[in-house]
This record gives sequence, structure tokens and C-alpha cells, in this order.
Amino acid sequence: MSASPAKTSDRREQRVKSPRPVRRTITLAIDYGIMIALALFFLFPIVFMIVSSFKPEKLMFDDLKTILWAFIPRDVTLENYSSVFRRVPFGRFMFNSTFIVLATVSAGMLVNSMIAFALARLRWRGKTLILSAIIALSIVPLDAIVVPLLVLVNGFPWLDGTIGWLDTLHVQIIPFIADAFSIFLFYQFFIGIPRDFDEAAYIDGASPVSVYRRIIVPLSRPVFATVAILQALFLWSSYLWPLMATRGEDSRPLTVGITSFYGQDVKWAQIMAFASMITIPVLILFLLFQKWFVQSVAASGLKGA
Amino acid sequence: MRRSTGPTGHETVYAWLMSAPALIGLFIFVALPLFGGVYWSLTNKRLISPLPTEYIGLQNYWNLLGLQIIKLQPEIDEATGAAQVDLEGNPIYPRTRTIVRGNPAYSGFREWFTTDVFGGRYVVIARDPTFLRSLINTCVFVLVIVPGQGGLALIMALLVNQRLRGRYVFRTIYFSPVVTSMAVLAIVWTFLYNPDQGLINRFLSAITFGRFQPDWLVSADSALLAIIILSAWQAAGFQMVIFLAGLQGIPQSLYEAAQIDGGNTWQQFRHVTIPQLRNTTIFVIISTTILAFRLFTQVDVMTKGGPQDATVTVVFHAVDTGFRQQKIGYGSAVTVLFFIIVVTIALIQRALLKSDIEVE
Amino acid sequence: MNRLLKHLTLLLILLLLFTTAALTPAQDAVELELWYHGGTQEENDETRAQVDRFNAMQDAIQVNFVELAGSLVAGTGYNDAVNAAAVAGDLPCILDLDGPNLYNYAWAGFLAPMDDYMSDELRADILPSLIDQGTYNGKIYAMGQYDSGLALVGRVSLLEEAGVRIPSNIDDAWDLDEFNGVLASLQALEGVQYAIDLKMNYGAGEWYTYAFSPVVQGFGGDLIDTETLSAEAVLNGPEAVAAMEWIRSLFENGYATLTPPDDNEFINGNAAMGFLGHWMATGYYEAFGDDMIVLPVVNFGARQATGMGSWAWSITTQCDHPDEAWTFMEFMLTPEEILSITNVNAAVPGRLSALAMSELFGEGGRMNIFVQQLESGIAIPRPITPGYPAVTSAFFTAMDNIIKGGDIQMELDAAVDKIAQDVADNNGYPLQN
Repeated sequence: MSASPAKTSDRREQRVKSPRPVRRTITLAIDYGIMIALALFFLFPIVFMIVSSFKPEKLMFDDLKTILWAFIPRDVTLENYSSVFRRVPFGRFMFNSTFIVLATVSAGMLVNSMIAFALARLRWRGKTLILSAIIALSIVPLDAIVVPLLVLVNGFPWLDGTIGWLDTLHVQIIPFIADAFSIFLFYQFFIGIPRDFDEAAYIDGASPVSVYRRIIVPLSRPVFATVAILQALFLWSSYLWPLMATRGEDSRPLTVGITSFYGQDVKWAQIMAFASMITIPVLILFLLFQKWFVQSVAASGLKGA
Repeated sequence: MRRSTGPTGHETVYAWLMSAPALIGLFIFVALPLFGGVYWSLTNKRLISPLPTEYIGLQNYWNLLGLQIIKLQPEIDEATGAAQVDLEGNPIYPRTRTIVRGNPAYSGFREWFTTDVFGGRYVVIARDPTFLRSLINTCVFVLVIVPGQGGLALIMALLVNQRLRGRYVFRTIYFSPVVTSMAVLAIVWTFLYNPDQGLINRFLSAITFGRFQPDWLVSADSALLAIIILSAWQAAGFQMVIFLAGLQGIPQSLYEAAQIDGGNTWQQFRHVTIPQLRNTTIFVIISTTILAFRLFTQVDVMTKGGPQDATVTVVFHAVDTGFRQQKIGYGSAVTVLFFIIVVTIALIQRALLKSDIEVE
Repeated sequence: MNRLLKHLTLLLILLLLFTTAALTPAQDAVELELWYHGGTQEENDETRAQVDRFNAMQDAIQVNFVELAGSLVAGTGYNDAVNAAAVAGDLPCILDLDGPNLYNYAWAGFLAPMDDYMSDELRADILPSLIDQGTYNGKIYAMGQYDSGLALVGRVSLLEEAGVRIPSNIDDAWDLDEFNGVLASLQALEGVQYAIDLKMNYGAGEWYTYAFSPVVQGFGGDLIDTETLSAEAVLNGPEAVAAMEWIRSLFENGYATLTPPDDNEFINGNAAMGFLGHWMATGYYEAFGDDMIVLPVVNFGARQATGMGSWAWSITTQCDHPDEAWTFMEFMLTPEEILSITNVNAAVPGRLSALAMSELFGEGGRMNIFVQQLESGIAIPRPITPGYPAVTSAFFTAMDNIIKGGDIQMELDAAVDKIAQDVADNNGYPLQN
């Protein structure tokens, strides 16, 4: 994590330039002061959550009385974690959540980018209308249409001949593959790619599909990354829909799994352990990929340029 | 620029084929439920009920929007004919409920609030005060969160865009709440907001010597603020990344040119950064607005809309009436109104901002 | 190469056969799904164990235990899931319902009556309060293994230190003035942060109705008039207002806190007393032993009243095998199984024969107060009406607003209006069939 100027990502970062070293030191001190204060603000709930997850329940409450101790691990115990594993099939929940996110995002990449390609780069009747409709649909909040959606999918047949999609993994995947907001982001990026690229291909007799595959997709890696991350974050935290559409533990995702701990006797330290286990893997992933992530967003249409 | 060569006849076929999967998905899983909601909103459909569903026209909408203002007359002392006054000399008014229940025109109305203006006492009555309150709360939330969270995000982006040691660590820290699920964070924050035992008040107590101890979620005065702080905390990191991306897209040559012209840091910010970030800012404003209107999870987990409707939002009201109270026809009407309002606002916003994200 | 292919094919076929064999149950056992609301951890473990015992003792029926989201804190997870399933026609065979919610489901036709299954001996042996709770429109739709108890708990040592009289049975319960004095004396004790834990950590939900509508009744008010289904004059009359004023005064005087962080305020000594359901009593006894005492609810003047009713099992009309479901219910209702759960959760055993065998609840048992409250009629069932979901939601919302500073009369009026609106929306809940 050193600030080596040779790195490509650093090239465009704004230089802190100041002619006088004293003033520069003061500016630096102020900058760091603000950054550290903000860091404390953003970090304290998460640190508190993780630290508490390693404490016995009673100690967690005792330590709340002094602000400092709330953030310092002591009497470290894995008891809360083992209780979580004893009480619920955590691995199963983790698998479900991960599978749902991966399946939806990978299918979504293809489906949403294809329509965005058609809208942005092909000439056909009706595309203006469809684009407007998609922008309008991106406003509909899922939470507000869950009941009609529930009634609807309940009447759908599945491959094995059964009727009703409830209590499955696919009921948490298929409805969310096509996503209006993702289409909009793809569209914005595709529209900005110079036309000359596909012109040449068309002259060579390429079909729109091969233009999409050979030219647009390779040029659009950043927007794919951005949309994937956005969709994944949304799916990873979805709550009301899986609560309504799943029953058993076989298809239950993590966010609903944690509600087993909000029962009649709340064990806060166990909740903290469960919450930490949901959070830490994603944090590690972000830490590993954050440079790449920022670059992707930077290069994608998200900046609106 | 329009292409002069290339396939045209079967271009349409390709376009429809490539659009088909997404169109089918959006139609079945977003448009159909939405249409279903529009249809249900014209009925008295109940979630689970043996009673038949009836078509009731726009009744649900009138029930949502019904609003009247009544001017109260002080009680008249029958002996003297003068207005009765209490010990402090203020006029005594009849109970609003007596008036509302005594007049068939007010049937179905409830008191929303009472106000003393223009030397008289006025009562605002509504058929569903909670819905009207949810509209106000949602608008307040949007109006505070869009500039507040956006501003915070911009400051953070400017800070971590400098070539300072440890900037990656800071970026990660600021972004970390974004990757955590709100359903989980809301539970943790409920704990932090506890007025007596929560960390936040313990900290405030330490730095203000016990003078500043808000009741946070427990009081109608501060509950919405508490939700706003949590929401900004959770999402600011995301906008920071978008701003960061915008900042990194500004050509270094512009700053160099500004320096040659003798511009100081502030002038560079004012004349290079701000104009160059225009599109980024527009994107942040539009997307934050839409997301902010959807406020639901935090409210559902932390306050259930209370206390005294202080945190009720439109989406929460839609779920609460349509699903929990089982009045799905009514809840659907909330959703439809919500959709109309947000689409209108989004259109106005787009027109005002004149962004280049317009339809081609 | 060819041989290798052949072997591989053979291996694959064998593997397939094995998997099929492993996946097919040994016999064609009838599978029944059961939904459980979560409960406390101990309750949960024991209920699972009961299902396992049932599955192990016979081959014909396999009950699949499904635990759904929590019910009290963070609100309505379980009810949400049940409602969603009811809408989708996807209810399980056996459904766990909190007492008063069952009338709505029964009215809507989602529950199957059990009268034909119940033998006369069984019926005569069931706690009368459970029969009352399970009955809607003359038929029994739900049967619980236990009934609940709501009472005060205290510590003998603290009460003695405060110098207050300790009631020993329901007849010499504290009255309002005496209780206010008790709270003041306890509050004054060294080391006590506040006098009574009211379990406000459960949040605005069924707990408020369960625990505090009896206070309203004690002052002479009520939730609704069950004849007319109207709350007018009972929920917003002067008696109900007085009850709310008193409840709010507990917080204003600092005798109770609106925001206990968890369930342990009594155990860790912050609160001198607790007002709570039976489900906490075991843990409290483990913490204090014989120093812990269960006290009868306060006599607020108009009448002595306390809560009752608990989670109970129903068979749904979407169940393909109601006979098998009843076989399971019969097993759950044996005195042995009833005691095995009530010994864990300290609820009042649901059968008289089980009650007689119980050390905890029998004459002189330390939980006997709960039984006295149920048998003497001071425990009042929550209103038996299909409109109960609207009634409870109107009440707990109003109470939540009131204790957080709302205007008492206005909030209670609003609750009354909401209840009336709900009845009107449902055409007065006409009886079906």
C-alpha cells in the first residue's frame, strides 16, 4: 500500500503541491486529522461489532460502561461463534447467499449488457420507448411490489413439473437477473464508445452478436465490474423478499438466517458473531480488490461522462 | 452520427433477440407486479380474507389523500354568551373528536394536528394522517440525505484522492459499511443508539460532560435524525468511490494550466474540479434521490415507523398497510402514488440538471 | 482405453444407484412440515428434541421441523412469513401460532377444526384456558402444550431490605397505592438503578398488548367490547387514560427504563423487580435461586387482571394428511411431552394431569402463582375476534407513542378509530359457514 509514483493508478491522482514545507506540514496534519476522525466514525460500529463478538455476553455489557474497553478485546472467547454454528447451519446460509449472488450476477451481466447493446448501438424501431420504460422501471422499489410478485411466482411452474417457486434458490435468483438500473449503466457506457469500431466490423460482414462479443464486451470490462459489484451488494443485503419467499433452512440466505437470533431471548454477543461473519469476508474481498474497484468505476460510465 | 452502411433489415431482428431475455424478465418480474398493484389499488382486496374482492374505483386514493381543515369555535358560556376561558385566560375549545364524529361529512377522518394561527385554532384532519406524514418524512429524508451524504462523500473523495500515505486504508475504511448488509447494521446501530447504555451517548456524554444526551430512536424529535445518520454513514462510502472516479478522470493538464495561471488550491478547486465533476455530481444526485426514496429496511428493523409516525416512510407504509395490516388494495394504492411521485420528481430533476444522460 | 471407458460407465451406474437408494426413504413415510416460531434457545432445543423423538418412535410419519425468523425483537418476522405463505397457499401442515392470531386465520379458512379428533378424556384434561383460547365460532382450531403466565418477580432479600410487605398469593396482591410505595422504596435502595424491568426491549409489538392491556383492564378499561367489536369508550375512556397515565409515570419517575439493552436487567441487578412472562423465570431462578420469588400481579382497583394465552399448534386446511398431523399433535399433548417442555420454559402445563405431576407448578411450587392466576379467572384472554391483528397493532402503536411522549387521549382515540376502520373494511367480520 505504498504510494509509489510509478503505479499507473497514481498517475492521475492530484498532487499535493505547496511551495513552503511548513505550510505543507500544517495542511498534511489537518488532512490526516480529518481523515482519522472520519475513519473513527466509519469504523467504530464495525470494530465494536467484531470485538464484542469475541467477548462473553456479560463482559460485553460491562465493557460498554467505559468507551475504551468496548473496543478492546479481552477474555477472548470463540464461544459465540461456536454457538452460532450449533444453533444454525451457518455454512448452508453462506453457501445460499454466495450462490444466489454469483448466479444472479453472472446471468445478469449477459442479459443486461445484451439489451443495453441493442439499445445503444443498434437501429430499430421502439428502442426509445423501451429505454424510457426501463428508466421508469428502475425507480420501482422491490419492497413495494413484493406481494404481487409473491402471488405471481407462486403460480409459476418449474423444470421438475412442480408449481410454485417458493422456498427455492431460483426464486431468489431469476426475478433479479434482469435489472433496469444495470441496463441503464451499461447503456450509458456503451453509448460512449466511438462508432468507428463497429463500423469497420460491419463492413467486414460481422453480425451484431459478434460486434457485441468481439468489440463491445472487451472494451467494457470496467462497467461490467461496476455493475457486478453493485448488483452483488444489493443481492447480498436483500431481506424482505427472502423472508417472504423462503421457508426452510435449505434456501435461506444469511440476512434472514440472522433473524433466528432475534427470538425471545436475544443473545447480543451471538448476533455480533453472526454479523461479523457476514461482514468480514466481504471486507477482505474489498480490501484485496479496492484499487481495481475504484479504477473500474473510474473507467466506467458511472462518473457520468 | 448515423451509420450509412451495415445490416439494417435483420438489425431489428438481432436487436429484439438480444433484448428479449431482459425484456421478458423486466416485464414478468417488475412490470406485471406493478400492473397487478395498479389493478389491486382499485379494489378492496385483502391479503387473506374469505370476503369477495370488490371494485371500489378510486376510493383507496381518496382515503389516502383525504384532508380537511376545520376552524374550531371556542366553547360558549350559555349564561353570558361569551367564550369560555380557562384559568390562564385562554379560550376553551371542544374536543376535535366530538366535532369529527358529530358531522357525517367528516366520517373516516382523524385528527392529524392542531395549530394556533391567525388568532384562531385550526385542526387539520385527514383520513390517513400516517400516509401524509410518511410523504413528509420521506421528502425530509431525501432533502437532507442527498446534499448531506453527497457533500460528505465529496469531502472524503477529495481527501483520499491526495497522494498521501495510507490512502488505500482510508478508502477501505470509508467504504466498509457499504459492503455490510443494512438488515444487520440496523440491529447493531439500535444497540449503539440506546440512550442509557449505547456507545454513542456514552461518547457524547464524555465530550459534553453529560449535557447532550439525545434519546435517538426513542423520541419523536430525534428518531428521523438517527435514521438519517445511519443511512449516510452506510452509503457515503459508495458515493465517495464515484466521486473518486470522477476526480481521477479530470485531466492533470487542467490543473497544470491553472497553476501556470497562478491559481491557488481553492481557485483550482473552484474552476477546475467543480466544473469537471458536473456529470459525476448529477449522477450522484439522481441515483441517491431514487435510492433515498426507497428508505425501508432501517425503519422496519429499528423503529417500525414510530414513535408517533416520526420515521414512517412511504415504502414502509405500503408494506405495513398492504402486507402486515393485510389491506393489499390499499397498500397497492400507496405504491402506485409513490411511483407517480418519484417518476415526476425524477423527470423534473433530469430536466433541471439537463444532464447528458438523456435518451438518445 | 475401451476397458477404461467400460469401467467408468459401470462405476457411474453404481454411483447413481447408490445415490438414488440413499435419497429414497426406506419406507414411504408421510412427510409433514411443521413451522416453529423460534422461542427461547432452550425451548427451541426441546421442541426439536420432541419432534426427533416422535420421528424416531414410528416409521409412518416424518415431521420436518422448520424454524422461522424471530418473533419478538425486530418485530414481525414470523407473522410476515406466515402471512406470505397464507397468500401463496403454501402453509405447512402444522403451524405454530401465537394464541390470538389464530382467529384471523380460522375466519379466513386456513385452519382445520380439531374437535372430531379430540377424545372426551383429552378434552376434559386440557386446561380450560387453553380450550377457550383455541376456540373460535364454537370449534377448536389450535391446541397448545402450555399456557403462559405473566407476573411480577422480585428478590426476597431486596424486598426485605426495602421493608415492604411480600404477598404470598393472589388474594393478598398489592394494590395500586401499595405498589407505588414498593416501587419508590426499591428505587431508593443502594445499588438499584431502577425499580422494575418492564421488558421494553421487546419493542412495540405483541408484548405491549399481552403485558399492558391487563393493566388497562385492571383500571377498568378494555381493548374492545367483544360483543360489538368496538373499542369506543373502553379503550379511550377515562379508565384507559388513567391506566396509560400510570404506565407513563413509571418511566417519567425513573422507576423503569424505555430502553433496556437486553433481557438481563433483572439478573444483572440493574432492576430490582421484573414484570414478565413465564419464559424468563427459569433463567432468573438459576441466577438467584430461592431468593427469587414470583409475585401476583397488582390489583389496580377495578379488577385484578393478567395476561394469558401462548403459542399453540394448528393443523392447516392446506395439509394433505390431517390425520397424521393429529397423530403428531396427540404425541405432543401427552403429559410426558408437555412436562418435558414446561420444565424447560417454565410455562403452565396445558393438561391438568401434567399440572398435577409438576413440581414447579403444583401446590407450593415456586411457579404456582401462575396457576392461581389462570384458575381464579384473573387471567384474561386477549379478545377472540378475527380482527385481533388490527386491535393489537392499534393498541401497541398507541402505547408506544404514549410512553414516548404522545398525547394520551389523542393516541387512544386514534387506536379506537383504526379498530373501527378495520371492522368496517371487513364488513363487520361476518361469520363464515
